[in-house]
Amino acid sequence: MSMMHASGVNDAAKATNVPPTASLMRWVIIATLPGIATMSYFFGLGVISNVLLAAAFGVALEAAVLRLRRRPIRVMLNDSSALLTGVLLGASLPPASPWWLIGVGMIAAIVVAKQLYGGLGHNPFNPAMVGYALLLVSFPTYMTLWAPPQGLIPDGLWAQIAGTLPTAQLDSLSGATPLDAFKHKGDAVLASEFWATSPLPEGTLNAWRWVGLAWLAGGVLLLAKRIISWHIPVAMVGSLVVLATLFYLSDPSHFASPLFHLLTGATLFGAFFIATDPVSAATSRRGKLLYGVGIGALVITIRTFGGYPDAVAFAVLLMNLCVPLLDLYSVPRPTGQPKATSGKPGERL
Amino acid sequence: MPSAYDFPGGVYLPERKQRSSQATLIEAPLPSRVTLPLQQHSGQPATPCVAPGDRVKVGSVIANREGMISSNLHTSISGTVTEVTTAQITIESDGQDEWFRLPSLDWRSAGRHELLERLNESGIVGLGGAGFPSHIKARVDERHAIDTLVINAAECEPYITADDLALRHYPGEILEGAQIIAKLCGARHIVIGIEDNKPEAIGALQQALADSQPVPVELTVIPTRYPSGGERQLIKKLLDLNVPSGGLPADVGVLCHNPGTLLAILHAVLDGQPLVSRIVTLTGEAIAQPGNRWVRLGTSVKELLEEAGVNHSALNQVIQGGPMMGTPLLTLDTPVTKLTNCLIAATLDELPPPPAESPCIRCGECESVCPVALLPQQLHWYARAQDDTKLERYHLFDCIECGACSYVCPSHIPLVVDYREAKSRLRLQRIEATKAEHAKHRFEFRQARLAREEAEKQARKQARQAQQRRPSNTATSSSEKVDLRGLRIAHAAAKASVKKAEKTLARVAQEDPKQSLDDLEMQLATAQENLKAAEWQLAQAREQQSPDSASKESP
Repeated sequence: MSMMHASGVNDAAKATNVPPTASLMRWVIIATLPGIATMSYFFGLGVISNVLLAAAFGVALEAAVLRLRRRPIRVMLNDSSALLTGVLLGASLPPASPWWLIGVGMIAAIVVAKQLYGGLGHNPFNPAMVGYALLLVSFPTYMTLWAPPQGLIPDGLWAQIAGTLPTAQLDSLSGATPLDAFKHKGDAVLASEFWATSPLPEGTLNAWRWVGLAWLAGGVLLLAKRIISWHIPVAMVGSLVVLATLFYLSDPSHFASPLFHLLTGATLFGAFFIATDPVSAATSRRGKLLYGVGIGALVITIRTFGGYPDAVAFAVLLMNLCVPLLDLYSVPRPTGQPKATSGKPGERL
Repeated sequence: MPSAYDFPGGVYLPERKQRSSQATLIEAPLPSRVTLPLQQHSGQPATPCVAPGDRVKVGSVIANREGMISSNLHTSISGTVTEVTTAQITIESDGQDEWFRLPSLDWRSAGRHELLERLNESGIVGLGGAGFPSHIKARVDERHAIDTLVINAAECEPYITADDLALRHYPGEILEGAQIIAKLCGARHIVIGIEDNKPEAIGALQQALADSQPVPVELTVIPTRYPSGGERQLIKKLLDLNVPSGGLPADVGVLCHNPGTLLAILHAVLDGQPLVSRIVTLTGEAIAQPGNRWVRLGTSVKELLEEAGVNHSALNQVIQGGPMMGTPLLTLDTPVTKLTNCLIAATLDELPPPPAESPCIRCGECESVCPVALLPQQLHWYARAQDDTKLERYHLFDCIECGACSYVCPSHIPLVVDYREAKSRLRLQRIEATKAEHAKHRFEFRQARLAREEAEKQARKQARQAQQRRPSNTATSSSEKVDLRGLRIAHAAAKASVKKAEKTLARVAQEDPKQSLDDLEMQLATAQENLKAAEWQLAQAREQQSPDSASKESP
């Protein structure tokens, strides 16, 4: 019957307990702050405008759909999950994205990927990544150009956010991400030659590294607060590093180093904030490990052989697809049940 | 002592045991009236054997066990029976507290049958919570070889300290009770499993260990982690044995007993005192004098709480049992039974109701704390969807309902409530399915009874004839073929089927104390009728043959 529940326990023991769902979401939002702050420091206030706009869209869209679905709006908004989706999508977009781009992304995330599937807890795909992937394939010009680090208020910030900047001028403002640049160096160019030409604007690589470390710090906070378990981040980063190392050792002149893969792009952000979304991830511990390994492997594969410079969104969505299968095949054996003897695996279920 | 083995999952709960464990164990005042339910044990309710107006002494039998899995019931005060209903017996006290005791038994010299009969007569049942009749449990060695007797002193639920206090006050007696059970079931080791949050009880046991004879006793202190007191979890922790799903500890050669039960067993054997009282923990913030009391069975919960100084304005709910697996009492006008180990008078702050349920976010926290390694979240999903096939395949019936999953759920989903509902729904379906089977068994029973009566009649008739014939000394014609061998085989087969029916009944009853046992009792009765019929036939055949053989031998 359990008259006792973790959040009703007002003892010292409470510190070790899992917080309730709503505060779980809020903790994740808090943990994104170091990453967002570091990004803003290097890439300007456009990062913050992204996050605020996306969060506002998220809450407004969630409220609108809940109203259409005749659900208690106040109660369900209180879980902060829409806010979190907004923060995560906002943090993934290129700084100072135009408002309409964010709006389209959030419609895909909240309305299509989340609410149409039944709301919190029922979405098979990570909402923020659905939004991101839709934008990436629909508006590649806006999505692949990333302004080089140039202080808090870059040129044309407001025009960019308002969407009034002519596309021709966009190019002049933006550069490529390190992953993008490396991808398009061409087969004939060796890695050492590529780096020797200092292909990126001053400080870009350094900025990306700091941002990566800031996401890592937020992730460690989540682990320490027991908001997420170690299984998915460790498995994902582990498989990514192992694969990247194998490629790098096989041909260092063409493949990027594991450290490069780890610290640039969305690797650490994805490992701690995206892949760990419990709703769309595998549930059993074994399933989570497989899920993480799959994401890491897909990220490296797509980055190395695919058409996109970064791949966290696609990797996560592809592994979301595999979750029902992973869950089915990773059912733990209950204590006292006989070991599976014969028959095809999963036949019991 | 470090323990190398572990069960999966588990949670660390606030213990809240200090309030009741600090107070000394005292006798609760003698109640002026007791209400004794006929069902205070698993199996069939007992049948009353007293009528209103009867005078009874403490320890007189007032209801007899009914069927195989059942238990006798005794009065807990001396006085007059005032009411006998189909559910309970009420007795008014005469204030004398006169006792009726059975003679003392020396368990070392007493025979097995004598000891079992004593347990049966004394109405001893498992006091840990399930209330399984101890005399049936003690006969487990007829079907399984028992190697180890485990004393389950983990007492892992918060608040409860009844076993703790019992161990501190009666360590020697409890160990002696364990020796009696070890003798009955043939155990060669006794292992005590106790959580490390009971240092005084551990100290008391360590002192008593040396004097415990003849079976060696080992004390294993385990870290405090809920639910280490679950039978399967404790066996895993102490002995690294996995009790098979749907099986019993006996399947791996283990028998588990609660310290309180062992104490009651010793009292029954040594003092001839049936089960009329037990230790109850009274605790909770709404009580002024928390502590453990020796309480006569049938005492009203209300009186007990009043005496302990309950503050009605602060009281929010009274929970019988622990806060994890216990049940809130709907009314305080309810008696203490053999199964009442703890009463928590909780304030609202102390055990607040859970906040409103929110959707499952599949965080998997429930899975990480499940001590059976189930997937609580999938079970929740399928329980709500009433997908019975999936529920069975995800092993719903392996759930021990410990509540660890509900405890940690960040969305406050009452998971165990879902599982209990699903389980009872599935049980109901099974019962529907077995109804036809049951009708068939009823018919078979009738047939068997008629056959037995017929055989009895035949045998009597023949006996009469034989008596008439004997004086004339005319032997029955040897031409009348008596298939003695065939009858002997039939008799042995009937005997075997009685054994089998008993075994099934015992197993089912022990596995699932809540299940109705009518059908199995009926099958057992059928087998018994068949056996009687076979006995009569065999006796009759022997009777027929003996004159033959006599006449053959004489020449």
